[in-house]
Amino acid sequence: MQIYRRRNGWSIAADALTVLISVIWLLPLIASVFMSLRPASRPLSQDTLLWALTAADERGIFLPWFTLENYERALLIAPWGSHYLSSIIFVVGTLVVQWFTVTFAGYAFARMRFVGRDLLLYLILLQLMIPAGVLLVQNFATIRQLGLYDTHIAMMIPYWASAFGTLLMRQAFREVPIELEEAARIDGANLFQILWRVYIPLSIPSLLAFSIVSVSSHWNELLWPLIITRSPEVRPLTVGLNQLFTTSDTGAAYGLLMAGTLMVISPLIVLFVLFQKQFINSFASSGLK
Amino acid sequence: MATKAAALPQLVDNTSILTRLFRALLPYLLIAPTLLGVFTFTLLPAVRTVHDSLYQPPRMARGEPTFVGLENYASLFNPQHHLGARFGQILGNTLAFSLATVGVSVPIGLGMALLLNRRIRAMGFWRFAVFYPSLLPLIGAASIWAFLYADTVGLINTTLRALGLPTNNWLGNPNTVLASIITVDIWKQSGYHMLFFLAGLQAIPQDLYEAAELDGASYWQQLTALTLPLLRRTLLFVLVVALTFSFQTVEQLGALGMGKPADRGNLLLYFIFQNIGERRNWGYINAMSVILAGMLLVFTVTNFFLLERGREDER
Repeated sequence: MQIYRRRNGWSIAADALTVLISVIWLLPLIASVFMSLRPASRPLSQDTLLWALTAADERGIFLPWFTLENYERALLIAPWGSHYLSSIIFVVGTLVVQWFTVTFAGYAFARMRFVGRDLLLYLILLQLMIPAGVLLVQNFATIRQLGLYDTHIAMMIPYWASAFGTLLMRQAFREVPIELEEAARIDGANLFQILWRVYIPLSIPSLLAFSIVSVSSHWNELLWPLIITRSPEVRPLTVGLNQLFTTSDTGAAYGLLMAGTLMVISPLIVLFVLFQKQFINSFASSGLK
Repeated sequence: MATKAAALPQLVDNTSILTRLFRALLPYLLIAPTLLGVFTFTLLPAVRTVHDSLYQPPRMARGEPTFVGLENYASLFNPQHHLGARFGQILGNTLAFSLATVGVSVPIGLGMALLLNRRIRAMGFWRFAVFYPSLLPLIGAASIWAFLYADTVGLINTTLRALGLPTNNWLGNPNTVLASIITVDIWKQSGYHMLFFLAGLQAIPQDLYEAAELDGASYWQQLTALTLPLLRRTLLFVLVVALTFSFQTVEQLGALGMGKPADRGNLLLYFIFQNIGERRNWGYINAMSVILAGMLLVFTVTNFFLLERGREDER
């Protein structure tokens, strides 16, 4: 952990750079919020800046600068309630199973000796090297053969094995002092107790990082759920958002598109903001004492 | 009590073979779910993809595929072929897209981590500000940028016009469409890389820096001699993940020009999706998939060896 002990020119420049980068990175989100609140009757045109809060139309009549009409219209386009529920089932069902699979595999590869260990690890790492996208059609055939088409399980099942998570947990578990495991064994702890009491508590930052990545990537998954499901009650939010694109014409509907986009992304952003305190505490407590 | 104590050694002897067998099998049991999943949904379909790339599909739904060897691959590099005429351009785009997004977003992510791994007020806000794009669905991020890039009603052109500067049709101009798509990806991915660099930085023991400080090492000396070498494993991990992502990020093209104009904004995986509906293209699509996976493998393995060898040299 780098800490500036004195305020000097460099630390002030670094603060300024932090603010600058943050503002640039936030601008698209702020712009989309403004656009979603903008009346459709007042499109962004040549003589109006997005940020203008009041402006007269060509007849000189002042229009209100914001409205919720884009959200009202977006709500009517898709069954958002069942899409939300379906997204939650998809994300939670995937993550809970992953916790078990990546913890077990991560521990085996980090701390156990067995014949073929490196070969098996490389086989699993192939999952990182083969783009899942090119396997979509073949996997679709597999899901049909398994009789899982148009189910929540079908969306989750390819993700239950995670090479990414296995690698991350293997890395984290290797940094746990082996003496702690040996001490627990002397006290008569079995493997599951050792994992639960020693390895997992000491690897919370990695497990959290993996969970955030897993949740956000599956919340945002589009192509796989689109291919593997048909019923509105099984399809997740992104497919609903996709529907918004296909039903709206280009150009003038940006307000509607931004409203739909924000409706889909806001739960995850809220979750992250709430979650972030725990997140930062667990990360920062190791350095900032 | 006495009988129990006497029976104990014998009990241990009886179970020792079973215990040993269980111990020997335990690692395989622990990795079995992961291995089974990878086999079913990655390895098997991957082998099938390679197999199908060597065949021409049957004309009729019930016919047998014809073995054609490497002919499907040769056709992709033949400018007279209906897909080969477009393949070269799209392959070049894909390489440029991956190298540019990874080459820019990974250093930015590292820079963000170094900036945010300091004592600074409202830390949570700054971290959120750079990380939130990676929370967005690709199609959502793309739709926001489609609005920014839009020709007449877009925010960028509106702002340029207000400032009296010349405007550009960012997604319609063949010279800027790929750069515009790359920009979206850099914006989206940098904060994601930052997360892992931050975790790597905070795993470095603080007393190393205290010792370096006592020896009078400047910030830049600490950075190059201490921080970066200790981040090597994190860097390898981030590079592998970033490359894998860059070859697979195509969902955004639906909102960012759909590969137009004239394939200047097209990417390989998106091209595969565009042609997946036609049976006669099945063999070519599988050949393209193999090429895509092959490029990724070459990049990843190269990275791995460069970084691992660099680590060996230090010892």
